[in-house]
Amino acid sequence: MAREKVVEHYDVVIIGGGPAGLSAAIYTGRARLKTLLLEKSLIGGLATYTNEIANYPGFPTAPKGEEITNLMKEQAKIMGVNFKLTAVSSVDLKGEEKIVETFRNKYIAKAVIIATGGRSRTTGAENEEKFLFDKGISFCATCDAAANTGKHVVVIGSGDAAIEEGMFLTKFADKVTVSVMHDYPKMDCNEIAKEAVFSNPKMEFVWNSVVTRFEGNDHLETVVLKNVKNGEEIPLVSDSCFEFIGYLPNSELFEDQLTLTRQKYITVNEKKETELEGVFAIGDVTDKYLKQIATAVGDGAIAGTVAERYIAEKEFFDTKIMQSEKTGMIYVYNAIDAPSREFLGTIESIEKSQNGNVAVSRIDTYKSNGLALMLKVEQVPAIVIVKEGKISEKIYALDEVAIKNAL
Amino acid sequence: MKEVMLDCFGEACPVPLVKAQNKIKELEIGDVLIVQIDHSCAMKNVPEWARKDGYNVEVEEVDDGEWEVIIEKTK
Repeated sequence: MAREKVVEHYDVVIIGGGPAGLSAAIYTGRARLKTLLLEKSLIGGLATYTNEIANYPGFPTAPKGEEITNLMKEQAKIMGVNFKLTAVSSVDLKGEEKIVETFRNKYIAKAVIIATGGRSRTTGAENEEKFLFDKGISFCATCDAAANTGKHVVVIGSGDAAIEEGMFLTKFADKVTVSVMHDYPKMDCNEIAKEAVFSNPKMEFVWNSVVTRFEGNDHLETVVLKNVKNGEEIPLVSDSCFEFIGYLPNSELFEDQLTLTRQKYITVNEKKETELEGVFAIGDVTDKYLKQIATAVGDGAIAGTVAERYIAEKEFFDTKIMQSEKTGMIYVYNAIDAPSREFLGTIESIEKSQNGNVAVSRIDTYKSNGLALMLKVEQVPAIVIVKEGKISEKIYALDEVAIKNAL
Repeated sequence: MKEVMLDCFGEACPVPLVKAQNKIKELEIGDVLIVQIDHSCAMKNVPEWARKDGYNVEVEEVDDGEWEVIIEKTK
């Protein structure tokens, strides 16, 4: 028998405590929203695996990733954000109330921000775990290329990421050896990249190969490849290996809630909104161009701000617009349109003529179109009439007589 | 199903981990063990062990530098 779960209500629940989630928490916390951040293991996420972060603006001393994310956590705490270090077991995000469950709690939120990140696929070769991240095996040329100036590096994979990042590495390294699983000259990358890579004198290829073993003491020293056809081992002396064999977004929890891309990413628009109202996704779990702390915190800022506006508009919509006390008249207009602006005077005179019996709201879509979307108006300007808490009519003309008749 | 408190305040690694590992053996499936710690290293190794063993884990910072690691024995 399952234990009774404790129910708690929040304005915003953020799933994932990496830089994206922390940034979102700082923004929602600062907007005085009751915010909970759930993290399954370490606050700071993938960033904490990095010993030196040299390209995050504002930190010229290249501190440890953990140092930066600890500061973010501290900042979020000052903003009143609650933290819980536990895994989410299930979610139900389709309703108006968003439900996020852990093994002990059931959280009910007005908005949910998904910041669950992802992980790079690894080869599974022998000793791989010993050398991950700062011990020689890297997954990010943008992060670690500069440390390889004048060296020999090994790249695993032949997809777009592998080849493009490999080309980038040749700007620093003297030699880049690429391990390709396929027969010469088959590669998984696009044709343009393929052409460019073949004409790059610093690039070398080992065809029909996979990694079988990593060797070294404290740090990686040799990458041992294996020919998949004849089993021959090919040792490559290199203290730096880049694996680009795919990325796995942590999106399993949301598979039955949101449509994922073929690579299992969550799709969002510019405002980090998913297809579900009140559900946002940010950081590495989304289909984005660049996975960096700098882009993650940008995502978080957007989602935090949009979530705040969504909650405010939703509350305004539920309590003021869809009120059932009086007949409601909502004028939806765009303030940059002159005739719509002028009609505000007519709206005012209609309001007066009704002697306080009509609740009038004015919504300027130039500032935000959220409420217009909730009202489902097809075009702007529009006049929406609400009776007994329900929409009774939508008028798409600036016609005083029609409005008065509808009231 | 019961909840058992394990007071490890003031104890350094690996004492909290060993105590927790011994205590959970005495518990039944569905029981919850709450390990109270104030040593930040136990904040890492206790949950890590419990997660690896497949138990449900939650870490709660009850005060500055004091944590409760809540472990549900699931199997």
